[in-house]
Amino acid sequence: MSTQPLVGVSGAPMSTDGAAVVEAAAPTRTRQLLAALWRDKLAVLGLLLVALLVLAALAAPLLAPYPAQGAGAAAEVKEVSGPSAAHWLGTDPYGRDLLSRILYGARPALLVPLAVVALAIGIGVPLGLVAGFRGGRLDELIMRLADMFLAFPPLLLAMVIVATLGPSLRNAAMALAISWWPWYTRLVRGITASLREWPFVEGARTLGLRDSTVMVRHILPNAASPIIVQATVDIGTVILATGALAFIGLAAQPPAADWGLMVAEGRTYVLSEWWLSAFPGAAIFLAVLGFNLLGDALRDLLDPRTVTR
Amino acid sequence: MPRFLLRRTGTALLVLLGTTLVTFVLARVVPANPAVTYLGPRARPEAIARITRELGLDRPLPVQYGRYLADLLRGDWGISIGTKRPVLAEIGDRLPATLELLAAAMLIAVLAGVVLGVVAARHQNQFADHAIRLLAIGGVSMPAFWLGLLTQMLFFGRLGWLPATGRLDSDLEFTHPLTEVTGLHLVDALVSGNLTTLGDAALHLVLPGLTLAAYPTGVIARMVRATMLEALAQDHIRAARAYGVAERVVVWRIALRNALPPTATVLGLTLAYSLTGAFFVEVVFNWPGLGQYAATALLNADYPVIMGVTVLGAVTYTLTNLVVDLAHARLDPRVRLT
Repeated sequence: MSTQPLVGVSGAPMSTDGAAVVEAAAPTRTRQLLAALWRDKLAVLGLLLVALLVLAALAAPLLAPYPAQGAGAAAEVKEVSGPSAAHWLGTDPYGRDLLSRILYGARPALLVPLAVVALAIGIGVPLGLVAGFRGGRLDELIMRLADMFLAFPPLLLAMVIVATLGPSLRNAAMALAISWWPWYTRLVRGITASLREWPFVEGARTLGLRDSTVMVRHILPNAASPIIVQATVDIGTVILATGALAFIGLAAQPPAADWGLMVAEGRTYVLSEWWLSAFPGAAIFLAVLGFNLLGDALRDLLDPRTVTR
Repeated sequence: MPRFLLRRTGTALLVLLGTTLVTFVLARVVPANPAVTYLGPRARPEAIARITRELGLDRPLPVQYGRYLADLLRGDWGISIGTKRPVLAEIGDRLPATLELLAAAMLIAVLAGVVLGVVAARHQNQFADHAIRLLAIGGVSMPAFWLGLLTQMLFFGRLGWLPATGRLDSDLEFTHPLTEVTGLHLVDALVSGNLTTLGDAALHLVLPGLTLAAYPTGVIARMVRATMLEALAQDHIRAARAYGVAERVVVWRIALRNALPPTATVLGLTLAYSLTGAFFVEVVFNWPGLGQYAATALLNADYPVIMGVTVLGAVTYTLTNLVVDLAHARLDPRVRLT
């Protein structure tokens, strides 16, 4: 083993047994990353939007002016009304407060994409690691399987799976995860295959470490940045996808406070009671915009190949 | 090139075979009773028994898959539960509407995307660049179904400038009947010299076309900006500038020519993405295309239709990717070696 200080692919220093010392370098890198993010105005806007979404999801019961997802203590007369001092964003045809429902809607809007992306990573990353590390027939098998799933236009496979399982938010989340994992497999497989030949991986194997240890301790940390970038953008895309599925009736079902469903419910009244669709749709747009801005900024910062702006 | 072409086409065929396996599993293996799924929840027991026999659902799964494939290739894609008509014929009826919408959206997206991308790159880090970057990322963050509703509110509801739904004014059917040749209204109206219908069809295309174009415009603008920045930093551009070539020529002729090939790759992918985008846009604008057809089928569990549209989607998507790869290989010889 060389006595010179080693540097991993990500630029992080490595310990003498060849493992990337990601843990030790993490606080400094995180601080540097945050400082760099802070300098990018669009990234700050993204962070702000994401923070607002998280706050709304966590504190919906405290923030919402009306309890029970906007249904409780509403106006005496259960009817639709435009934005007013009592109901900032108006009420829906059942007299439910729209602002409260949008705040409660932040919960599924955040939780479902988190679950979908976590599941997709959980399935996709190990398969990508194994395919890239082992190569050969197993690699072929896994990648052709991934290709099969990637051969469907985005969302189409998810829609068909939901139609098979029955429309519900849980099934929509499962369907999205099932059609999303191959992206992570492809991403991680590419990185793993290129890292396999690097001296620090060969060194670790020569020391007799088990393949699983090499993959998890030595290769995975170097794939972390691209996975984080991909996941950030994907959370936004899944918010969009869940909203779209709900809009055509394949995800959340009434009377849930779900943004996509609310846009669909307001569609009939779009020319008169515009706020019914406009505000929940704006919530989806801003949430997706937040993750996309953040993902873009992270990509520029974490991916050395990106042209500097 | 021929070897690359053969290998790539072979992989595409293999992948297509795989997609039929996925649709087969979804249609026949996942549901507890595929005959009920196939016929709908109100099917009589006799009908269930008949379809079980007809579809060979009592046979082993590999045999069933073989028959499913043979039917697909023969053009027997089943009968719609909702309309009782052959699925393939209905797809054929509705395809032109979707193609017309996609073509309009892609035309808008390419024109707007390239211009925005070039302008942003030309004014890097200035106000125009920031505004265009925000606009482009806004385009890819916008739910198409919501944008559609917003345009309806504004351009139909408030301003009354443009029609909100459908492909043609219903009155025109009587006053200026259209001779259908291709099913593409713009083409048919132009060929038959029916200018009133041509204008009306074009007006009906504006809102759904713009809505569907939002996402691809954003993607193309971002891609063109990035590739233009790279192209503008090249030595020969510096040389051209040093020789005093007009900036307009340097940017729009020389640099853009280098920036376009990578954009072609992204174009194929965004076209494929817009296929699903069309689903939601068609629902919002009551556009009688494949997307609306599929959305209705999905909600009513009209299985033969769902599977038909899915297979068609996978075939189109795979072929688009194949064409993009082959075009890319033609433009960039290095690709053929990998």
